[in-house]
Amino acid sequence: MSSTKNSVSYDALVVGAGIAGGEAALNLAVNGFKVLLVEKDLSVGGNMIKLSKVFPTLDCSACITTPKVSEISRHPNITIFTGSEASNIRRVADNHFVANITRQPRYVRVEDCTACQLCEKACPVSVRDQYQFGLIGRKAAYIPFSIASPKAAAIDIENCTLCGACERACPTNCIDFTQEVEHLEMQFKTVILATGFEMFDANRIPRYGFGKYKNVLTSLQMEREIAPTRPFNTILRPSDGKVPDKIAYVLCVGSRDASVGNPICSQICCMYSIKQSQLLMGALPMADVTIYYINIRAFGKGFEDFYQQAKGMGVNFVKGKVGSISETENGNLMLRYEDINEGIVKEEEHDMVILSVGVLPNEGTTSLFSEEQLMLDPYRFVHQTDGLANPSHTSIDGVFVAGTATGPMDIPDAILSAGSASSEAISYLLK
Amino acid sequence: MEVEKGKTAKYLRDKQGVSEQVKENLKAFTQIKKRILDALKESDMTILQLSQKLEMPTHEVMYNLLSMVKFGWVETGEIDDMDEYYTYKLKQ
Repeated sequence: MSSTKNSVSYDALVVGAGIAGGEAALNLAVNGFKVLLVEKDLSVGGNMIKLSKVFPTLDCSACITTPKVSEISRHPNITIFTGSEASNIRRVADNHFVANITRQPRYVRVEDCTACQLCEKACPVSVRDQYQFGLIGRKAAYIPFSIASPKAAAIDIENCTLCGACERACPTNCIDFTQEVEHLEMQFKTVILATGFEMFDANRIPRYGFGKYKNVLTSLQMEREIAPTRPFNTILRPSDGKVPDKIAYVLCVGSRDASVGNPICSQICCMYSIKQSQLLMGALPMADVTIYYINIRAFGKGFEDFYQQAKGMGVNFVKGKVGSISETENGNLMLRYEDINEGIVKEEEHDMVILSVGVLPNEGTTSLFSEEQLMLDPYRFVHQTDGLANPSHTSIDGVFVAGTATGPMDIPDAILSAGSASSEAISYLLK
Repeated sequence: MEVEKGKTAKYLRDKQGVSEQVKENLKAFTQIKKRILDALKESDMTILQLSQKLEMPTHEVMYNLLSMVKFGWVETGEIDDMDEYYTYKLKQ
């Protein structure tokens, strides 16, 4: 089931509508350029929109993201395709790229959806909610998350029983199962890659027990547990709903670890773990929080103060490399670690363990191009051909890169990088 | 082919059908939901108590019960004296 439509042209194609892609698109748009912003997810906002708070200021992440997302969504020079992917990008002349855009059906006419959630209420299906990282269920007819943009329902067709309950409940008749995959061919003068990153899959280190022990979570799962739009009424451990009182963080899971193919520092894990530990101390004042680290890399503005603040709040920092995690009978977790300062192996019991997973490159970025090769750096992030003077330049003339597609970085740096990429793209467009 | 608005699910169902796995998942969730709701009709319970009563692993009770809280069928009650486990009750 698919349909093919004719070509439309824009000044710029921005691939990825996270905070970097959105910022780059907005910069282009306010300067009068027409932008197509393509996002594979159902919402604009990327990873940032799912976070609880940001470090080191502890500002509400959603409060920063949603006005920006709203501005992007409403700008007349920006066309947004969610649930869509770009491919086969090729140069046909100077300042002239062609790309194939594939739009997956949402089975909902977004312009008619009022986000009333009656379809969600009527749907009898429950499947794991990917936006809550599997901690809780969602319906097959669902709004991705409460601050999604567009805030409109979508149908998870893979899990839908096609019972029609959502259609019968919908007051605006916006649900449409006749929608098909659309294949579009579009023209652009420049391209910005803001394809972001992927989180390290904790299943790749079996000795930490992720997936096997229910109370071993990833940092993104904990991020959801402490967010205002969290899955539970408070912080609970997934094995039995107990309010945890002795929580451990294991840093450098899948980063600074050549054995899993990622020898570089992910730059954000120390600080997001320290942020989460402070939020946990606020939410669970009686809880003990311990962070097992190799080195704390508090290199940014305000980071060292933030680290000291966590210590002052009572977070316990242990310089130790965790070797393995095992489960006790009551679902608690025994950490076996090397105390680096004392040079001996120790064990400590916790009732919940958070794996601070690292940042990996988005492996799909290179396959976007069909004729020219997008070069990658040794760590498979997008290679910056002139990293010092023109950090947004790629190996393809007219194609620029923004945000974590170039490597791990925090949110302010991703926004700065997007500013650089959009400025370079504007210069290229005005040539 | 023009499909009448509001009846498009039937169009797709007739066209491509529904997998057995999806039907099984719905059946399983419907049964779990009924068992949890029936148990909570008797009294408010913690996840550990529900697990014992239903002879279901605690993590499965946790996942399904908290999903039911989200869907609006169950609500969170009081926490125990040790501040460890919440009770859950039918939503009035």
